[in-house]
Amino acid sequence: MLVLGIETTCDETAAAVVERQSDGSGKILSNVVRSQIAEHARFGGVVPEIAARAHVDLLDGIVDSAMKEAGVGYAQLSAVAAAAGPGLIGGVIVGLTTAKAIAMVHDTPLIAVNHLEAHALTPRLTCALAFPYCLFLASGGHTQIVAVVGVGQYVRLGTTVDDAMGEAFDKVAKMLSLPYPGGPQVERAAEGGDAKRFTFPRPMLGRPDANFSLSGLKTAVRNEASRLTPLEPQDISDLCASFQAAVLDSTADRLSVGLKLFQEQFGTPRALVAAGGVAANHAIRSALQDVAAKAQTTLIIPPPALCTDNGAMIAWAGAERMALGLTDTMEAPPRARWLLDANAKAPAGHANSRAGH
Amino acid sequence: MMILAIDTALDACSAAVLDTTSGNTIAIESLPMQRGHAEALMPLLGRVMKESGIGFAGLDRIAVTTGPGSFTGLRVGLSAARGIALAAEKPVVGVTTLAAYAAPVVAANAERPILSAIDARHDHVYFQVVAGDGSPLVKPKVAPIAEALEAAQYGALHLVGNAAAMLLAARWPADAADPVAVDCQSAPDITWVAWIGAAIDPDGAPPRPFYLRAPDAKPPKDRLEVSAPPST
Repeated sequence: MLVLGIETTCDETAAAVVERQSDGSGKILSNVVRSQIAEHARFGGVVPEIAARAHVDLLDGIVDSAMKEAGVGYAQLSAVAAAAGPGLIGGVIVGLTTAKAIAMVHDTPLIAVNHLEAHALTPRLTCALAFPYCLFLASGGHTQIVAVVGVGQYVRLGTTVDDAMGEAFDKVAKMLSLPYPGGPQVERAAEGGDAKRFTFPRPMLGRPDANFSLSGLKTAVRNEASRLTPLEPQDISDLCASFQAAVLDSTADRLSVGLKLFQEQFGTPRALVAAGGVAANHAIRSALQDVAAKAQTTLIIPPPALCTDNGAMIAWAGAERMALGLTDTMEAPPRARWLLDANAKAPAGHANSRAGH
Repeated sequence: MMILAIDTALDACSAAVLDTTSGNTIAIESLPMQRGHAEALMPLLGRVMKESGIGFAGLDRIAVTTGPGSFTGLRVGLSAARGIALAAEKPVVGVTTLAAYAAPVVAANAERPILSAIDARHDHVYFQVVAGDGSPLVKPKVAPIAEALEAAQYGALHLVGNAAAMLLAARWPADAADPVAVDCQSAPDITWVAWIGAAIDPDGAPPRPFYLRAPDAKPPKDRLEVSAPPST
């Protein structure tokens, strides 16, 4: 089964061709990603209209490259998959419409993939991982703990009630004038910093649910930093180190609760899987090792190129759905919001927060 | 030439297949639409292609409106056109909405200049002025309505576009020659998009968005003061 996958939900324009064997294993034939970092850098974050403009300019060329690199013709495709959300709607529209057009020409099945589902299923592309497993997804747009029970079967165990984890890293970087994208810059600055110089809050620590909160922590960093202006390089390093330490403590606590909830509802997870751009942070990775070890499960982190947004994960999720006969029609809508777990409810007291969608 | 035309830039979702040899529009569908183009276009295209009975392999070219218009809307049509072009290995050309509005008047051998104007909100219009033979007098731009009204200097004009009536004709300068005609349509005629698409030189008509406006984005101002540039 040959599947073309298209990803345009944020600031990466990406396309890939993936082959799925009848035994369920996968092989990436091509995986082309064009990041728009340069376009957004001077704004200190992703500007939706700039992202949408870049996607429409770039996408057909990226798809063409992915198909040529894979040595596959359009008529040979078993399915065309696109991320139909959740994400920035301007980009989603470009990706989904392009996928529909390609699918229509050769009457190829279309798969409208949930971007979060693609992250959730990625580990099965690179190794033979059986269900159920526990996913920790942390990126610039999402921070969730999800029980992956089967293809199309996801139960959200925890979510952020405000900022996403990657977003918090980016915002801290931005306030400290570190270059965009800020996550890796905060990690780098933290390496030379004193994590004990500032005591920042460990949000949600000890709560029985598995939810996250990061905006208060970010504000605490801003308040502390404001008192120190003008900021010396050492101040910046210490602020970053202290911030990262707080994130690590909070993450470890929230995940251990998440794994406990998983155990209660679904038994022992086959693995703890991390995905999303935050999983590229080395300090986070080592914290996750500890969490997994304590829960006596295996930690799986896909290679960095498959953790951040890419077309291969969309193609693979498309292939997994196609294998179950789950295809979509030309009516499939682009969706800015799309819960992975349709039954997920916002945590009590956070109904009007981002956790509701 | 068999040409598939697509327009989603303004208040319609339209597609048509034109056979330029016979001059017949062999399939056409146009739905008035202010939003929802992204959901509506591909099912509509499927119906139009089925009605045409020729299949994508039978097309010689695809034409698509590039704007000016709704940023999101024009990207829907462009994504579809470029996706089809890629998978069907067919050339695709871009047609501006301003040119598409003027086309039927130019084709009727108009003697008067033609002012095409599209509502750009906030008291602005996207507009262009061409002579009766289609040669440019004022190149496409976004400007205050007052500036578009200065086109009255070219004499009695034919006004076209979705801003022709309410925004321009209604405010036409009292001391200027009255417009010879005012055609106010909410979107260009898709058949004319196809005709221009067939006539145009592909090298000069790339299927790229024609926004005429920069994205609304400003660099951040909420950074804290640092004593020296941070090491990067």
